This record gives sequence, structure tokens and C-alpha cells, in this order.
Amino acid sequence: MDTPDVIIRKCEELAFDLNFTRAKEWKAQDASRVLVGNMPIYFPRELVHAANGLCVGILGGGDKKLIIKGDAYYQSYICHMPRSIVELVLDGHFEGFDGFIFPSICDVIRNLSGMFQLMGKGTFVKYLDYPQNFSASVSEDFYINELQYVLDQIYAINKVEVTAERLKNSIQLYNKNRSLITELYDIRQQFPWRLTAADVYHIVRAGYVIPVEEHNEILEAMIQHIQVDRGKPVDKIKVMVMGAFCEQPPVGLIKTIEMAGCYIIEDDFLLGARWVQGDIETTSGNPMHDLCMAYLEKSTFSSSVYDVNNPKENRLMELIKKRKVDGIIFAAPSFCDPALLDHPILQKACNDHHVRFISFLYSENTGQFKVIKEQVGTFSDSIKLWDEPVVINNL
Amino acid sequence: MNQHIYTLGVDVGSSLIKVVLMDYSDEPVILDKRTEKIRKRNPEMVSDLLIDQILIDHNLTFADIAYLASTGEGEMLERKLGHFYSMTTHARGGVFLCPGSLTVIDMGALFVRAIKINEAGKVLDYKMTGQCASGSGQFIENISRYLGLSIEEVGATSLKSKTPEVPSGICSVLAETDVINMVSRGISTPDIIKGIHLSIANKIIRLLTSLKAESPVVLTGGMAMNKGMIQAVQELIEESKLGLVIKADPDSIFAGAIGAALWGGFRYYKLNSTKD
Repeated sequence: MDTPDVIIRKCEELAFDLNFTRAKEWKAQDASRVLVGNMPIYFPRELVHAANGLCVGILGGGDKKLIIKGDAYYQSYICHMPRSIVELVLDGHFEGFDGFIFPSICDVIRNLSGMFQLMGKGTFVKYLDYPQNFSASVSEDFYINELQYVLDQIYAINKVEVTAERLKNSIQLYNKNRSLITELYDIRQQFPWRLTAADVYHIVRAGYVIPVEEHNEILEAMIQHIQVDRGKPVDKIKVMVMGAFCEQPPVGLIKTIEMAGCYIIEDDFLLGARWVQGDIETTSGNPMHDLCMAYLEKSTFSSSVYDVNNPKENRLMELIKKRKVDGIIFAAPSFCDPALLDHPILQKACNDHHVRFISFLYSENTGQFKVIKEQVGTFSDSIKLWDEPVVINNL
Repeated sequence: MNQHIYTLGVDVGSSLIKVVLMDYSDEPVILDKRTEKIRKRNPEMVSDLLIDQILIDHNLTFADIAYLASTGEGEMLERKLGHFYSMTTHARGGVFLCPGSLTVIDMGALFVRAIKINEAGKVLDYKMTGQCASGSGQFIENISRYLGLSIEEVGATSLKSKTPEVPSGICSVLAETDVINMVSRGISTPDIIKGIHLSIANKIIRLLTSLKAESPVVLTGGMAMNKGMIQAVQELIEESKLGLVIKADPDSIFAGAIGAALWGGFRYYKLNSTKD
């Protein structure tokens, strides 16, 4: 088994390989394999897996890609991620991809799906609408039709029929994947010094670009390593970082927060990998129904989801209770409408429940963190020296 | 309380490292304090050398230290238990050195920061100079080197000035050009140095005004050792009629490290009480 450092280094390389080398190698081994790129936040990757495909997470170029052409496609008041994705398209990074899925999270993603269609990338481009009503009687058929469209598109490419057995097997593999990631976060909650937040980020992000079977092996090995103590505990506060569910923060920002007196115990960086909370049932004999019900009944919360019967501010407070954090850092990408529109609601809930928070904006290619470091550092100091622990009683 | 609770505060600056050993048992007492210039060496290595030397001199081992707290640029210290930010530590150190202070002016090598605090040392508000180096201790050090003075001579030289010549306060490049012109015009070294002190003091007055600072004001950081600088601040405060009382302690340069050692002791007790 590789050492933790070797695993982390490997994951870091995979996570930021903007040429998606491993995914393309995987596809090259079998003519019936397909690569499907999916934008944030969530898509049931099980579906593509069952159709002999690999879902590849497209998370932008981060601070690894210089934007020259991408800026010409967007106004200055639009977030940064679509610019870098356009830059990646124009520079040929997605050659060999068969299709692209754009989950409906905001107008910018909708617009980006149109650009992919105009540029003729892939065999299919699907803007995937999610049900906004979480009642199965209203939404199940609609959602299954949306998913079936994707399956039909893949079938047209590789003629692989997705049987119930194949889909059930894929769901089980991703159940295992989610369960291992949850275990990783649970261990970190108790022993955050054993693995840094940046390490966790690299490990989880690697799973966006490699087959799930390989990612499960990586997760199992890493969890085995951190069952025993490594690293040294430092007197820091525990925080949750919220707002980064789509455009990813630069790793330097994650490191800065942890250097500035905080352990990041919970986050929404790569939320798609943890979207379904718990296992998807596989006993009904109808795995499409199971996938659908998992979305309707087991989804986590996010700014792009409007579940009126399950307010996200309450769910945020529940998460604070579960993770026992000392405060929240609201870190949203500049011009991210969903995240920024939610901030007043979420921050009011924090004030009502005496949860300490700070907020700032970033962009995926932010390179200067001195001001953020100072801000997070004084936040950490103020909690360490002047605050009582957060206690949330009634929601 | 019989058992000694020792804490170490390490303030890693851009050019100087300050270490304070404190006995936090009853009334906190400073047992030792040292400084060491970094001189292009690895700051962590220099800090470790200082720490080890202090421990040896006090017949202590690292296991005897209840809490090693870093501040400044000290996040990289492998042996630290916690890190506190400069504002937090200078505020606490300022109150320790001059009890009752309600404003701290941290005059460091790279910037000046005015911090409004309460009597317990809690930071309430702050203002700081921008990125430009012309408002910093490093600028004084550079100019003194051009003028052939050691940094220790700067304060006394400034006090000899009769007709100070104030350079441009906009940026260090322009100010340095001004100084070259002054030298060629035959302006005396004391008048040049005093002019620089007044230029920096003018920035401090602006910070104090916008912060609505309250008296007494304690000066901390490396520049607080500079008597010429203190004199310039006092002169401009009188001129501006802000009515603030300025205080400086001979140990002002250690304020950050003292604050770190004190907060380290505080956290030691807090963490242990949480365990119970």
C-alpha cells in the first residue's frame, strides 16, 4: 500500500490534470466506453457508469489555466468558472469527450450549455432540469425522463443497454464511494490534524476524473492510514466553509484558512460527490426509481435548490450541530448569484442562533490571500479568546 | 498555586524574531526576553535556536512549556501549539505593558496599525497604513543605511534636529529620491531623519483620527524603541490637538511576543477546563 504522502501527491496530480489523461486512457482501453463531462453541482454518475461510461467532473481551470479567450465570451459581472471552461474547450482539453451534462443550477450554466452546443462539442449536450418540487407524485416521472434522455444519448453512441442489474451494481459502487468519503470527513471531524483540508480536497476531487473503482481503493487506503494518529494537534477553531459549491476555491485559499487558525471540518467544495446523504436503496428492483427517490428524499441542501418545505437555514444549523463547529466562513465566488442571494438568509439564521461567521468573496484564480488570512486569523482569535462554544438548542 | 505554568511567545517579524518566556502561574511574570536578527536565515531555524537557548538557560525542557504561541509570521513554527494574529497579541501585550491603554499603535517593519481596544485587550476596531513602505520601520532602516547610521543611532540623531525637512509621504521611492536631493542640498542628517519621522508620524495621526482613538495610546513594535519617532508622534499630536496621551515601554518591541505568551497561558487554562 502506498504511503499517505504518495497517495496525496497522486490525487493532487489527478485532481488538477486539466487534460484528463487518466479518463482518456480509460476510454482508450475499450471502444464501447464513453466519457461524459458534467458541470457542478450534482449528477447521478451511477447512470453513466452503468452505460459503460465515465462521468468526468468539469470544475473549471482554477488557478492553473491562463484565461485569454474565455474573457471575450462573458461580461465582467459574470463569475469566473465559465470563462476558464470556455478556455479549456477552445484549447482542446475536452477532445475525446462524448457528451456534456449541465445540471440546472443557474443562468450562467444554462448559457454555457448553449455555448457548448454552438461550438459543436461532443455528440450531445444536455441541460438537465432537476425537479424543484420534492414530492415523488409530482416529480418522479419528470426526473426519470430527464435521466432517460441521457441514457438514450449514450446508447446511441455505444449501444450498451443499461439493465437493472448493471445500474444496481453501479449504485452500489457509488454508495460505497459516498460512504468512504463520509468516513473520511467523520475522522477529520475528530482528528483534523491527521489530514489537512487541502489533502481531503485533492483526494475527493481525484474521484471526479477517475473510475469509481479506483477512487474507492484510494479512499480505503487513506482511511486505513488515518485510523492511526499522524501529524500534531494545534490549537485551532473548527469551522465550516459554505458557498463554494460550484466555482471551486483555489487550493491556496483552503490552505490559507487552515493556516489562519482554523480546521475546516465541513465544506461544500465538491458537493456533488456527497450530494446524496446515505445509501441509495437497491432493493426495489427498479434502480431508476431508486436513483430518483434518492434525489427527492436524500439530497443535501444547496443554494441552487429551493426546497420550501425543508428550509436550508434550518439544515445549515443542523449541520453545525452535527459537526460541532465553532463558526462558519461564508466564502462565495464573486458574482455567484445563488450563493450570494442565500447569504442574508443563512447569516440571519447564524445571528439568531448566535453562530459566529465571517464572509468574503473569491474567484477560482485568486492568488493573493493576505487580506483573507488576516480576516480569518482575527476571526479565529476572537472565537478562541472571547467566545463561549456554540450551542444550538431549538430550530 | 505551586506548579509553574511556563509559556513561550514567539513573534516572527520580517527582520527580527522576538521570544518571551513567561511564568503564567499566578500573576504573569516575564522570565526572559530575547531578540535575534533573521539575516537571511530560515526564520523557523532562528526561532528554534532562540527557544532552545532560553530553555537551556532556565534549566527547562520543551516538555515544561505549557503553551508555545506564535504570532506575526510565525505560523510555520513546527513546535507551536497555537498561533495568534498580530493585532490580538499587540493589543494584549500593550495592555500588559501599559495597563489601561485604550489604543495601541503597532509600528512594525512593514506597516503601522492603530488598534482600538477595551481594557481587557479585546480588539474593537483598527486602521492600518497601505502597502506602501514609506510608512514603515523598514523605510527608516533603509534611509539610515544610506546616511551611514546604525539603526540604534537613529533616535538620538533625530532629537538633535533644529529645522526638520519632511520628504514626500506618498511612497518610499519618491521619499528616497527626496532624501538624495536633501543630501545634495546639504541638509543635515538630523534634519533629514527628523523629517522622515514626522512624515511617518503624520500617517499615524491620520490613522488615529479616522479610528477616533481614545487615550491613553501605547506604542508597540520595533519603531516604539526609537525615541526620535516617539518625539515626532508627540509633537504632531500636540499640534493636531487630538489630546491623546502617548505611552511607550522599554519592552514595547516585545509586545507581540508578550501578548502571544499571555494568550497562550489563557488558552492553556481554557483548554484544560474544557477537558474537565
